[in-house]
Amino acid sequence: MTVLVNPADSDLPGVRLYEVVANRAAEWAFRLAQPVLATAVILGIWEAAVRVGDISPIILPAPSRVATTAIDLFPLLIDQAGPTFWASLGGIVAAAVLGIFLGTLVSYSRTVMETIYPTVIFFQLIPKVALAPVFLLWFGKDIEATILFSVFIAFFPVLVATISGLQATAPMYERMCHSLMASRPQVFMRVKFPFALPFIFSGLRIGVTFGIIGVILGEFMTAERGLGYVIMFAAENFETALLLAAILLLLGVGIVLFAILLVIEAVVMSVYRVQ
Amino acid sequence: MTDAALGFRTGSRAAITRLADIGIGPGTLRAVLLPTLFAAGILGLWEFLVWFFDYPRVILPAPSLVWTALIDQFDLIWFHTVPTMRDSIAGFFVAVVLGVGCAAAISINRYVRDSLYPLLVTIQLVPKVAWTPLFIVWAGIGWESRLSIATFIGFFPILIAMVTGLQSTDKSLVRLCKALTASSWQTFWMVRLPASVPYFFSGCKIAITLAVIGVIVGEFISSSEGLGFLILLGASNYETDLILASITVLCLMGLAFYGLVQAAEYLTQRRMSR
Repeated sequence: MTVLVNPADSDLPGVRLYEVVANRAAEWAFRLAQPVLATAVILGIWEAAVRVGDISPIILPAPSRVATTAIDLFPLLIDQAGPTFWASLGGIVAAAVLGIFLGTLVSYSRTVMETIYPTVIFFQLIPKVALAPVFLLWFGKDIEATILFSVFIAFFPVLVATISGLQATAPMYERMCHSLMASRPQVFMRVKFPFALPFIFSGLRIGVTFGIIGVILGEFMTAERGLGYVIMFAAENFETALLLAAILLLLGVGIVLFAILLVIEAVVMSVYRVQ
Repeated sequence: MTDAALGFRTGSRAAITRLADIGIGPGTLRAVLLPTLFAAGILGLWEFLVWFFDYPRVILPAPSLVWTALIDQFDLIWFHTVPTMRDSIAGFFVAVVLGVGCAAAISINRYVRDSLYPLLVTIQLVPKVAWTPLFIVWAGIGWESRLSIATFIGFFPILIAMVTGLQSTDKSLVRLCKALTASSWQTFWMVRLPASVPYFFSGCKIAITLAVIGVIVGEFISSSEGLGFLILLGASNYETDLILASITVLCLMGLAFYGLVQAAEYLTQRRMSR
């Protein structure tokens, strides 16, 4: 490595910056290398175990076999990933809008909040997936039933996070705003909402996972389209490699949805300058 | 700054505290009465709407009908509750043992942890329920598959919580242990493990909820027993009242499990603070 600046001037800011950047890069490369290496080792052991132990591909297909299946059937898989992705996105967005809106509404009055909150917590704790057959009974086997179920599952974490976030403002700030004659909407927009943002986004992270769960379950039960359908189909035909390939693609769907959320979070946080 | 520090309203605060000492806070009645009234109101509205618009009972049975179904068919519902309860609890306990064990193993040194932790977080992005059919391929349609699903689904929250908890130990305490020449096993057992207890229980609370979900999904996909099976059976016979009655029992079961974990947390904390 050549240092671009004369070493004699090493106390110049330029050198420090260069060193800092190089150190950061090395640190990040190291951080990234560790999980990548671990994945490689795990996949290697898996592949070796399957080959040496001669395990049936129905029980455990080798990673190479899963990869081949994923590549061979890629057009089919991506075709089925579409409905899963869009249904999840629709469900999550609707749940987010509904959860934040209702959470705000409920938090506006303390009495309303105290009245409704225990019921909300009750719904948060019960196993809501049990209601999937009821949704199918009510809304048919179309994609709407799947999306509505996903909204239902993803809605509660967002709602709870919004309510508890809006309670998180230190009373001191609120009192200060009141003495400065700020109106309630002003206090809400400038103080309470920014304070609630970290809570809301952690609720949304759970919401993303739950939204996908709702869609997959809906696809399991309706069995007409989507990656959930592919997974069920593969299991019924003992095509374990296809099953794992579908799960791999589902991981892709999850990563894309999560990345979208992280970008939105970064933008919103920087707008409100929340740390 | 608190009210006391600001020097106003301290008098009324003191009075409130004294009432709270004997268990009657000013909000107690409110906090119990309002939500109860709200829940009762919802049920009443539901009953009224069904009666007023004369909904077919297949679409939406009135709460009173669900109650009747619950009483009349209680034997059947209880028969199917037992396997669901058994598989959830067993799966949860196996998940606790495996989760704590793996977390301890991962936390042995920071290279192992930094290598595996990102993988665990990434795997979390695939909903666990998506793996359910794989367990049925592996373990058949008996209770073994449901138990392994419950274990698998409950394992990750405990693992993640425990890895975070073991990491959260106060660095100066660990240094103190080193200075006192404690072995790394002693440090783990006497300092790091107790420090991670709150994390452990928050992981357990998620895990017990998820274990029930795992068992139900497993029963949905292929089973001939359990509440999930009964719900599906109700759906295929258009017995919506039976479905809702089963879900009611399921909810009570889930809440009871959650309450037990919370009670265990309370007892542990009380023991530890002594």
